[in-house]
Amino acid sequence: MVVILLGLLALSACQTGTGALARGWSGVAIADDILFVGSMDGRLVAVNLDDGSRLWDIPLETEPKSTGGFLNCAPSGPTSVAIYGTPAVADDLVYVGGYNSKIYAFKVDEASPRAEPRRVSRELNIRGPIVGGIIASEGKVYLGAADGKVYALDAADGFKEWDFETGDKIWATPVIDGNTLYIGSFDENLYALDISDGTRKWQFGTEGPVVSTPLVHDGTVYFGAFDRHFYALNASDGSLKWEFEAENWFWARPVIRDGVIYASSLDGKVYVLNAETGEKQLDFDLGSPVSSSPVMVGNKLVVVATAVSKDSSVVYTLDTTNNRRDELLILEEKVYAPITAGDGKVYIHTEADALYEIDVESGARREFDIEQKDS
Amino acid sequence: MAIGDIWDLIILNPMINVLITTSEYLFDNFGLTIIVLTVVINLLMYPLTQKQLKASKAMQSVQSQVAEIKKKYAKDKQKAAEEQMRLFKESGVSYAGCILPMLAQMPVWIVLYQSIIRVLAVSPEDFLNLAPRLYSAWPNVFSLVPLEQSFLGLDLAAPNPILALLVGASMWVQQKMMTPATADPQQRAQSQMMQWMMPMMFAFLGLSFPSGLALYWVTSTTIRIVMQYMATGWGSLVAAPTSGKDTGNRGRAARQKKPLSDADTSADIIVEASTAQEEGSDYGQLGDKRQDSGRSNPAGPGSTRRQPGGGGSNRRKRK
Repeated sequence: MVVILLGLLALSACQTGTGALARGWSGVAIADDILFVGSMDGRLVAVNLDDGSRLWDIPLETEPKSTGGFLNCAPSGPTSVAIYGTPAVADDLVYVGGYNSKIYAFKVDEASPRAEPRRVSRELNIRGPIVGGIIASEGKVYLGAADGKVYALDAADGFKEWDFETGDKIWATPVIDGNTLYIGSFDENLYALDISDGTRKWQFGTEGPVVSTPLVHDGTVYFGAFDRHFYALNASDGSLKWEFEAENWFWARPVIRDGVIYASSLDGKVYVLNAETGEKQLDFDLGSPVSSSPVMVGNKLVVVATAVSKDSSVVYTLDTTNNRRDELLILEEKVYAPITAGDGKVYIHTEADALYEIDVESGARREFDIEQKDS
Repeated sequence: MAIGDIWDLIILNPMINVLITTSEYLFDNFGLTIIVLTVVINLLMYPLTQKQLKASKAMQSVQSQVAEIKKKYAKDKQKAAEEQMRLFKESGVSYAGCILPMLAQMPVWIVLYQSIIRVLAVSPEDFLNLAPRLYSAWPNVFSLVPLEQSFLGLDLAAPNPILALLVGASMWVQQKMMTPATADPQQRAQSQMMQWMMPMMFAFLGLSFPSGLALYWVTSTTIRIVMQYMATGWGSLVAAPTSGKDTGNRGRAARQKKPLSDADTSADIIVEASTAQEEGSDYGQLGDKRQDSGRSNPAGPGSTRRQPGGGGSNRRKRK
């Protein structure tokens, strides 16, 4: 009977997961009234924002993935590639990274938006999953991967321009300001790299992995880390200006407005900090962790707090003029993907693979159909 | 608050934080932490484990009498049940004595198991699920995650075939030690099937689990093997030794054996060298004379079966 009970215990691990549930949480990219998003089943989907119709969707991988081993316990996600990062759009190319260590580029036919894009592929030696987003700038695309490297690729053909190796995996999305790229790593450092050749300008050490995307504003780099600290550094040399301590990790990207930093933490709070001194002005306790990066729409910060033990999220607006908090929407789904803003609306991609457009002022909601169509 | 939330709050989350904090004192080594905590928890549970092992052993010791009761009252199930209860009462054994200590240990095994799974965070979702469980009053735990997942060349977050084999092998050893010898061919067949089926199943599962979990299984099973040995010896794992000497005990075994008849010529059993005293000697050491009755079984250890018509003589051979 001992063995049978242990067997049930073992099987329960297959249900609860052993670190294998990499499903993804792609954000939304918008270009020329077309919305691009990576679905939970590994497809890149394009939606016409005007009428909400789907233009096309294309699976990143065309070959079926193997199942989860004996009794479905082996590491495997859904049937295809998990997509965590937000797609990047540059001219007529759309880039997206997969948890399978590959980066994909698709050439969109701008004259025929409904035509399926052409895949532009090049084999790259990336040896780790891609979790952060990709950014495109001046003919290059930049990304970090779980092999610990920052890559700069030619935007047209994917040729590697340079790479820079850190001490551990990278899950963060890079940010570029001028000729400097900033990115965090699991080796507990924030790096500043020269975008022309990847040489290190400086690095700043914390006491925990750096996963969140930095914010660069007015010569200062703002970011949070797993040591529960939020930092402000001089962008020129990485020297510390100030730091602030919360009660849990920082995962979401901070937002700034009118000299005030809005830093969201997994302790469920949005901290309102003076951008110059780091002094806390107040905090909003949302009751659930904030992992999805918030956005500013007009005077309102739109932020999503996701419950831990149930499929539930609440979308809040925090009015920066009077510090008033309102519930914009309650969802029966988790939200981990970053929020995207555009034209007074926000776009939210949920873990149930639903995609919503919400008017911040009126609260009107529109849902886009991005489910896989039967062939 | 749901039961799951209560479980997380008072049992799982504390264990997760203890696991992470302990690793800081064990050279930031998660593999070592798994082993040490598994050992510590098993030692703390030893009184219960010992109770359960003794109860199981006592239960095994009366199985032959139970079989006799069932045989005697084969047509009167109620009487059989009554006699069985009377036997249990007189012997001081009960099914509850075997099961209750084990049930009391189950939450501990489950929580250690679940906490290892959660701390072995691999995917981004794992990290997000782990973060709310960390205690803000223990600031170190935030900086310690993710834990060092390399141990003796293993990636604790990835499956490892060698550890999977060890999971199966250790389970087989434990099963073998726990399973009592039986003369009933049907029971023996069932026992043998269980002895192989469960270890093989766990070995296959071990090929899918992170090796950190397999490490926990192997450590826990090894400890239980040691405890089993201390309580009941090697059990069926070590076959009773055979001897070529003709001792006085052989005569005793002969007297215990049923007299052969002509009807037995098609199934001659020859008792070779094992003696009544050598077989099941562990039981003998513990003064359990009832175990000796098992040796009157002509199909006991050390016996060989002569092929029908292979000689005709029903006499026992002397060596």
